[in-house]
Order: sequence, then C-alpha cells, then structure tokens
Amino acid sequence: MTTTSFFLYVFLGIVVCFSYFHLSNLALDFFSQKNSNNFLKKSVLRPYIFIAPAVIILVIFILYPVVETLRLSFFNKTGFEFVGIKNYIWAAKDPEFKRAILNNLGWLLVVPTLSAFFGLVIAYLADRLWWGTIAKSIIFMPMAISFVGAGVIWKFVYDYRGPGDDQIGFLNAVVVSLGFEPQAWMTIPIWNNLFLMAIMIWIQTGLAMVIFSAALRGIPKEMIEAARIDGASEFKIFTSIIIPYLEKTILVIWTIITILVLKIFDIILAMTNGQWNTEVLANLMYDWMFRGGGDSGRGSLMAIVIMIGVIPIMIWNIRRHKEDEKS
Amino acid sequence: MNKNILTKITIHLLLLLFVVVWVLPTFGLFVSSFRDKDLLATSGWWTTFKTNEVNEIYRTKTFEDQIEENGKFFIKGNLLDKNSRKKIISYGISSKEMNKYKVNEKAILKNKTQIEISENGEYQWKSEVPFKHKRGKRIFITALSPPKFTLENYKEVLFKEGVGQAFLNTLTVAIPSTIIPLIICSFFAYALSWMKFRGRDTLFALIVASLVVPLQMCLIPLLSIYNDVGALFNIGAKSYPGVWMAHTGFGLASTTFLLRNFIKSLPSEMIEAARVDGATHYDIFLRIIIPLSVPAFASVFILQFLWVWNDLLVGLIFLDQVPSEIILTAKLRELLGSRGENWEILTTGAFVSMTVPLFIFFALQRYFIRGLVAGSVKG
Amino acid sequence: MQKLFLSKGGKMKFFKIILMVAIANLFALSNAISGNYKGPDLSGEKVVISGPWLAPQDEQFRKVIKAFTDATGATVEYGGSDSFEQQIIIDVKAGSPPNLAIFPQPGLAANVAALGGLTPLGNDMKNWVLKNYAAGQSWVDLGTYPDKNGKKDFFGFFYRVNVKSLVWYSPDNFSDNGYTVPKTMEELISLTEKMASDGNTPWCIGLGSGDATGWPATDWMEDIMLRTHKPAVYDQWVTNEMPFNDKRVIEAMDFFGSFAKNDKYVSGGSKAVATTDFRDSPKGLFSSPPKCMMHRQASFIPAFFPEGVKAGQDYDFFYFPSYSTKDLGNPVLGGGTLFAITKDSKATREFLNYLGHPQSNEIWMAIDGSGFLNPNKLIDLSKHSSDTFRGLNQILLNATTFRFDGSDLMPGAIGAGSFWTGMVDYTSGKSAKEVADKIQASWDAIK
Repeated sequence: MTTTSFFLYVFLGIVVCFSYFHLSNLALDFFSQKNSNNFLKKSVLRPYIFIAPAVIILVIFILYPVVETLRLSFFNKTGFEFVGIKNYIWAAKDPEFKRAILNNLGWLLVVPTLSAFFGLVIAYLADRLWWGTIAKSIIFMPMAISFVGAGVIWKFVYDYRGPGDDQIGFLNAVVVSLGFEPQAWMTIPIWNNLFLMAIMIWIQTGLAMVIFSAALRGIPKEMIEAARIDGASEFKIFTSIIIPYLEKTILVIWTIITILVLKIFDIILAMTNGQWNTEVLANLMYDWMFRGGGDSGRGSLMAIVIMIGVIPIMIWNIRRHKEDEKS
Repeated sequence: MNKNILTKITIHLLLLLFVVVWVLPTFGLFVSSFRDKDLLATSGWWTTFKTNEVNEIYRTKTFEDQIEENGKFFIKGNLLDKNSRKKIISYGISSKEMNKYKVNEKAILKNKTQIEISENGEYQWKSEVPFKHKRGKRIFITALSPPKFTLENYKEVLFKEGVGQAFLNTLTVAIPSTIIPLIICSFFAYALSWMKFRGRDTLFALIVASLVVPLQMCLIPLLSIYNDVGALFNIGAKSYPGVWMAHTGFGLASTTFLLRNFIKSLPSEMIEAARVDGATHYDIFLRIIIPLSVPAFASVFILQFLWVWNDLLVGLIFLDQVPSEIILTAKLRELLGSRGENWEILTTGAFVSMTVPLFIFFALQRYFIRGLVAGSVKG
Repeated sequence: MQKLFLSKGGKMKFFKIILMVAIANLFALSNAISGNYKGPDLSGEKVVISGPWLAPQDEQFRKVIKAFTDATGATVEYGGSDSFEQQIIIDVKAGSPPNLAIFPQPGLAANVAALGGLTPLGNDMKNWVLKNYAAGQSWVDLGTYPDKNGKKDFFGFFYRVNVKSLVWYSPDNFSDNGYTVPKTMEELISLTEKMASDGNTPWCIGLGSGDATGWPATDWMEDIMLRTHKPAVYDQWVTNEMPFNDKRVIEAMDFFGSFAKNDKYVSGGSKAVATTDFRDSPKGLFSSPPKCMMHRQASFIPAFFPEGVKAGQDYDFFYFPSYSTKDLGNPVLGGGTLFAITKDSKATREFLNYLGHPQSNEIWMAIDGSGFLNPNKLIDLSKHSSDTFRGLNQILLNATTFRFDGSDLMPGAIGAGSFWTGMVDYTSGKSAKEVADKIQASWDAIK
C-alpha cells in the first residue's frame, strides 16, 4: 500500500458510493419529468432509492448471517450433516461451557454495575469542581483506546516476576513494597476474572460518566438548592434526589454496557485466552469455530446462546422506542 | 462553614484519586515507550527518573588482541559502549562472585594474571606469559545507569517492525469505512424519518434489533459470500473494498439509529414548506438536511472512525495478514505474541496505535460526547 | 454451465501435468548442476504464503524468498500470524486461502486436508522426497493424509525441521560452578538436585505462547515418554490406543512436575512457568546473575536468545539424556513445519521446487543463530553458521530412532487444544490424574 494507491483507493470508494445516490436521483427526476404516469411518480419510487443500499447491506451483513448461524448450530462440525439438537445436548454437559456461562454472568453482574456507579460518582463530583472538565477528559480517554491496546497497557500493569527480581508490573511493585509476595495475577482463579473485569470497567466508566454528566444537567437546580436549605447532607441529596431522577438514564447505560459485556472477547483473547477459568462465551465460540480443525456446529451454538442472552434487551429496546415515538 | 470546606476537600481528593487511578496505566505505557530497552526489562517505569543499579555481563577480547610491553602481555579495551554514561561500581569474574572486587581494585586470577577495571569501563588484563584463550573472559559488572530517554524504540517499531506500514493500512481501511456508511445511512435515516413507504416501522424495529446482534456470529457466513462473489469476478475474497463493506454493514444499525434521532428532531414545518414549494425529497436532503446535520455527522463520523480504527476481529478475518494489508490492532496482537515480553516494542507499538484515536478524541471531544449522549439519552 | 467449467478444468489439468513434468525435469537438472537456483520466468505471477513464523523467522524466510523472486521475477508475499492455527481454518472454510500454507503440525494439515483444502503434491514430489530426504519414508508418511473423500494422498512437504531433545546451557556458568554435562537421566536428576542445593536455580521453563500457550510442556511429556517406555508405547499414546489417563502417562506428567512444580527447581517458582513466554524463558541463562542453569527446548530456540550471544562461546547444548538402566537406546524427538498447497498455481509449484533446492536451505542455515535444520541430503553442511548447528543437523541426518512430536500428530482438538491447556492447568496446580482424565474426555468427545 503506497501513498498514491491509498488516495486512489479512498477516493474511488467514496466516489462510487456517492455517485449511486446522485445519478439514481437525477435519473428519477429525468424520467418522471418525461413520463408522468402514475407508476413512475417520483414520490412512490424515491424512498426505495434512498433505502435500497442500506437494506441490501442489512440483509447481507446481519439478517442472513443470523439465520445461517442458527442453521449451522443444528449441523455437525463440517456443516454438512444434520445432527438435530445433538450440539445443544453436548453443551448442556460440557464443563467448559458451564464455566463460560458462569463467568459471563459474573461479568454481567459486576461490570455494568461498577461502571455505572463510578461513572455517576465521577460525573457528580466533576460537575462541581473547576477542574472537572479536565478530570472528565482523562477518565474518558480509555474509550478511545482499542481493546488490544488496553490489553497491552494492562498486561504491563499485571506483569509478574519471580520474588527477588525487580518487579516491572505496577501492581506487583505495590504489593511487594507493602511487604507481600508478588502474584501472577492472571492465574489466580476467580480473582483473575475480577482483574480482567477491571480493564473493561476502566474503559466503560468514561461512557457512563459523559451520559450521566449530560443527564445531571437536566436536574432542576432549585430542587437541590431546596434540599440543601432543608439541611440535607450531600450524600442524602445524592441518594434520594439524584439517583431517583436518573433512573431511566441508569437503565440505558446499564443496557449499553451489558450488551458490550455479553460480547466481550478481545480482552480475554489478549490477556488469558480463556485459561485459568477465565473462559467466556465469545472466546469459547472463537475457539470452537477455529481451533484444532474447527467445529462450526458447536461454534454456532455458542453464538446462538449469546444471541439468546441479548434478545430480552432487544425486545425491551424496541418497546422503549415505540413508546418514545408515541410521546 | 467548617463542614463545607471539609466536604469540598473530600470531593477534590476523591476526584483526584479517580483521575490518578485512571491515568496511571496509560501514563506508565507512555513513559516506558521512551525508555532504554534494557532498563525497561529490568526496572519499573516509576524508576525512570532515578539512577538505577544494573548488572551486566561483558567479555574481554581474546588472545589475538594482546600486546607485548616490556616482556609483559596486556589485553586492553573498554567494556562499555562509547556513548554509555554508566558508571561501574563493582565487578567480578565468576557468576558465583559477581561483586567480589570494587572498581579500580586489582583482581588476581588463579593463573596469576591480573585484571583491573576503571569506572568508565576501561580494563587492562596483565600476564607474565602470553595469553592463549580463544574465548574472552566474562566480566560481571554492577553499574549505575543514569536515566536515559531515547526515540530508538519508535524508530525500531515504525520502520523495522512494519508498524508504520500497518498505520497506513489502517487509514485505508478506516476512512472509507467511515464515510461510506455515513453517506448510505444519512439517506436511509432521512427516508425513515420523513418519507412515507410501506414497511417503514418494521424496518426501524429491525434496525433497533440489529444494534445488539453479536458481530462474531456474522463473520463466517459473510466470508463465504465474499468468496463466492470474489470467484465470480476472479478476484481474491479479501480486499479493502470487502472490509469497507463489512464495516458499513456492522456500523449500519448504530449510524442509522443516531442519524435518524437527529434528523427526526428537525422542525417538520421546514420540510413541509419546502415540499409545498415543489422541492423533491432529494433537493430537501441536499439543501436543507445536510447543512443542518453537520454536527450530527461529525459525532457519527468520530464514533464510527474510532470503532473501525480500534477493531481487531473484522480486520483479522476480512484482510490477509500480510504486510501490505495488516491493520494496526492485528499487528499489535502479532507483536504481543511474537515479542512475548519485549516491552519496548509492545509499549511503543501500542502507543503508536493510540495516537490517532487520542488526537481525534482530544480535538473533537465535544462532538464525540454529543454523539454518545444522543445515542442513549435522547433515543 | 457446470459442464463447460468441468471440461475447461480437465484441459487445465492436462496442461498442468505437462507443465509439472517439465518443471520436474528442469528441477532434476538444476540439482545436477549444484549451485544457485535458476527458475523459469514467472514475472507477473504472485504467490501468497501464510504461516506461523513471526519475528525473527519471518525476516529470515523473506531472505529465502528473495533469492526466488530474484531468479524468477515472481512476487511472493509472506504473512505470519500468531493465530495461524485459527486463521487457516477460517480461510479454508470460507474458500479464500493463500497459495501456500506453512503448517506447524501435521495434525492441523490433516484437518485441512479432510476439509478438502489441500491440493496433492503429486508423485514426482513424493519420489523426490523419498530419494533426497534422510529417513525419506517417514517424512512422506508424515505428509500423507486422507482428503475429503477419505482417499490418502501426499500433501505436505517438510521444510525446516527441528530436533527437540536438547538441553541448552552456558558453558561458562557450568565451569564457574564445576558442573559437568550429564550423560544419563540419572545424572541429570542428581545434577538438578546439586544445583538447587548450591543455591542455583536449575531450570528455566516457560509455557507462554499466545494462543498456543502450553505446548512447550507437551514436548517435555513426549521426551519423557520416549525415555521411560518403548517407542511402540509412544505410538499407542499418540493414536489414543492407550488412553491418555493411562498410569504410564500420568507418571510421565508427574516426572515433568518434579521439575516444573518445584519452586526451587524452576526460575521464578512454579507460578512463573505458565505465565512466562517460551521466547523469554531462555534469556535467564544469559542474565547477570544467571536465573537458571539449563533450558530444555528444540533446536530453533537460539533465534530467541539475546542479541549478540554466540553459539559455542556463550551457549551450547547437550542431548536430553536417557536412563542408563532402561534399555531404550537414545531416541530423538523432532518436529517440523511443512508446506502444503492451499491454492494451486504454476508459481506456487515452482516455489515448492525451490524449497527443495539446496540454496533455499543454505541461505537460512547461514544466518547466525537461526537454528535452521533440514533432512535434505543435498545441502552442504559447511554452510551452517557454526559447529553447534552442524552437529545438530548431523543428528538429524543420522537419525534412525526418530519420533515426531506427538502432540503434532494428535488430532488438532487434542494436540493443539486440550493437551496444551491441560499442561497449563497442571503447572498451575491441578493434579496429573485430573488433567489426564480431562484430556481423555476431550478425546472421547471428538471420536
């Protein structure tokens, strides 16, 4: 990839896309002026010109794969032979699968809750200080970093050297300076899951924070002032006025992060690859799909399980939007 | 009053604590990427500004380099690099006794020969009889190494490790993958907001549902389609246009969703008035909607761009992992595997991969946040 | 439509055969006149190769490639991936593979062959290997797998093999402490004890390897199996005729554990074993003070030694010894990478021919510390960068009792899956019985 071909590629891609819309609309205008019969009446046809590319892409990139995955989950590992619910029966008995489900539940419980909690606290604190904007920028920064980049950053934090050697991982350095033995953090069952979750929380707190920060501005100042005059403590104001007021926002943030967590993959792959009981569904799926010859049946099954986990949120999302449309 | 000040201080301290915890991991990486690689592997980044004590092994020259002076035989040289600012404090000639001799102290070996080493690394090895050794003698030194910053790591990573090339590849992936969905989705979002056609509500419900479909499950079926299409035109299935389409597909739902929220919120009177004047929807879109939607476009652009830039999976599956196509995140992952704990390469590579997102983030933070907020609260 | 394509394919095949014969002749000729490789003009042709080689091997391989592109005018692109094992399956399943795939294990190649992803190399190539590779029959057997229809064919051409049964050490560290190279397993065990009681750490062991974490321990297991039981038992183990949780396997695992799970015997303590990268662990031999005295690893490991260390001066190797009391001879365990065609083309075939040419071997051999070995009898051993590697290659060329890396022969789901993860679990604290049961269960699950 040279610089010239880079510009050529980029230019070409964008021109092709834009000319579709422009030319098709011009063509429609041209024909509808010439020919004023009903069928070509522009207002009937034009919406389809507008939506066609998006709908085609949606069908190819989202709908078809979902259906295909569902089909594959009932087939054997090569995808040629129908095996009914054999894969599902296998999964019900597989300890690794159970482990992954359990871990995913742990992630679902801890990460959205803590991210939302820290996000709210930071937003609340930052909005009251002169240097709050800077603080918010810094907290928000991890959002801009890739999961792989975050993996490197945190691998460096969790690095382990044998006792007696100089530690280069920050966490172990702290532990050693307090007089304890250094630990290989990634290998301690249960705790290692929490250390991995910390990475996700580190990333997602920023998201929660900015959304809360916007929502906090919507709280009527008078309400808080009134409470202050009544002598309510800061903590009291926070728990009995602000939190109830933000109920809906909390729910929204919780869903966004929940969806992200259900699909958590890159962090596990980069940090432990599912070893030491840190397996999660998306990584297990990748494993079955591609490792050691691959088993598209079992891999697809995992994908379907993730999908099933998402469905309640999906339905809730659609409902919420229907209500919004009405109001 | 007193209580108020106390609360204020607590708030300052609490927020400061959060900020420190959040920034420390990235800061450590940043500092490390400028450190000398030997120091990086043996001491924590927080010791960067300190003088560190290091243990190293060097070898003397062999018998071939001996010189004869007054019937005595000498081997002379300098253990350290020319530009090294290290200062030797002690040394040894066996792995068992690494610190046996102070600097400038004479070491007398079993065969009666004498070694003397000075602080700057110069050494002299004296013998009564000619030297015969073919393998240089190992010298273990303990030295003070002053703080040292270097751009060497960046040079290495950008040019030797192919990260520079990967950077360009990622740009080639990211720019069209951001602009194409923006064009397609803005039309789509307009149609969903202001045009009447059959199935509009179902289509919108579909978009909302697609927001949560796990990306991983789409990959294999998609690549098979790609291959069939590629075979039809006799081209490889993995190509840049293929990745653009994939990113367009995966970003479609969220981009449409955000843009629709914005376009729908524009005053309907304006659009109806234009309709009455006889403008087509296409005219309205070009003349009214686009100029008004620039801030929304900016938000969506940033979100999609960051998402594409940081993506690993799509780039891993829809592009060949060869130097001319590999993207930054995949390259970084490869380094993570092949360079185990060569932290100078990892930290620098990671930092290079972050430059663009961080730049965009700090320059356009306002739009970024607006996009995120629009996608959640308003909807 | 279908028919038309078929007939076209048939014609193509005919031409291909003619071409192959022509190339084979040319090839035979070029071997007769030893010296530099001279290929046909392939300007405009492109060969895409993907494999598991990363830095520093990828650069070394690109040097090998360069001589080919210079001679033929073809373009050759090599891409290395840490997750090659997954990547090649993705590519083959989706039908968009590279031209050549470099398989680190025959087991994985067999999987891909069963998916219908490999193109047979043909009889000429097979005969060539039989004639020109030391122990040629075993290399042909290792490259022969059933295809999609269950028909066996020759698919894999071995290039760059390694000897595994080696222990690396620093001669200076040994002489500083008065240690001598052990000749028998009994001596090795007592040397280990002596080192620990002297306050030294005997071993550096690291199992980390990205997605493939755990494999170095499987090599230990195989070497131990070959030293405690007859080769026939080893073969039964590899094919699962003898279950994985057999008493003999569990004993072998615990023997490995007697080194790896003893905090005094391994650098960083047993906790560090699974988390240390295999590429980093040998660096302990060269640190000041030394973190360990010995490192058991295959012949390719010097590529990961610190910059500037020299074979024979800073490091040397000895054969991982066998028991003097057990009459099992001196078995050699080895492994190797093989090339297979995943998308056929004229230039692809020619590239394989080139890999058989001594020049492609000698370029790599000459790179200092590259650890390149091959059983190719045509190569000139004097081209090796040092005596150390000449000695290693000689072991390979003389091999009679040779066994291939067992985990590479097991089905991918075991040999590149549960065996790896099992060994990580074992070093992280699980019992040998527990781990062996789990691996056997995963083997049962794929039967």
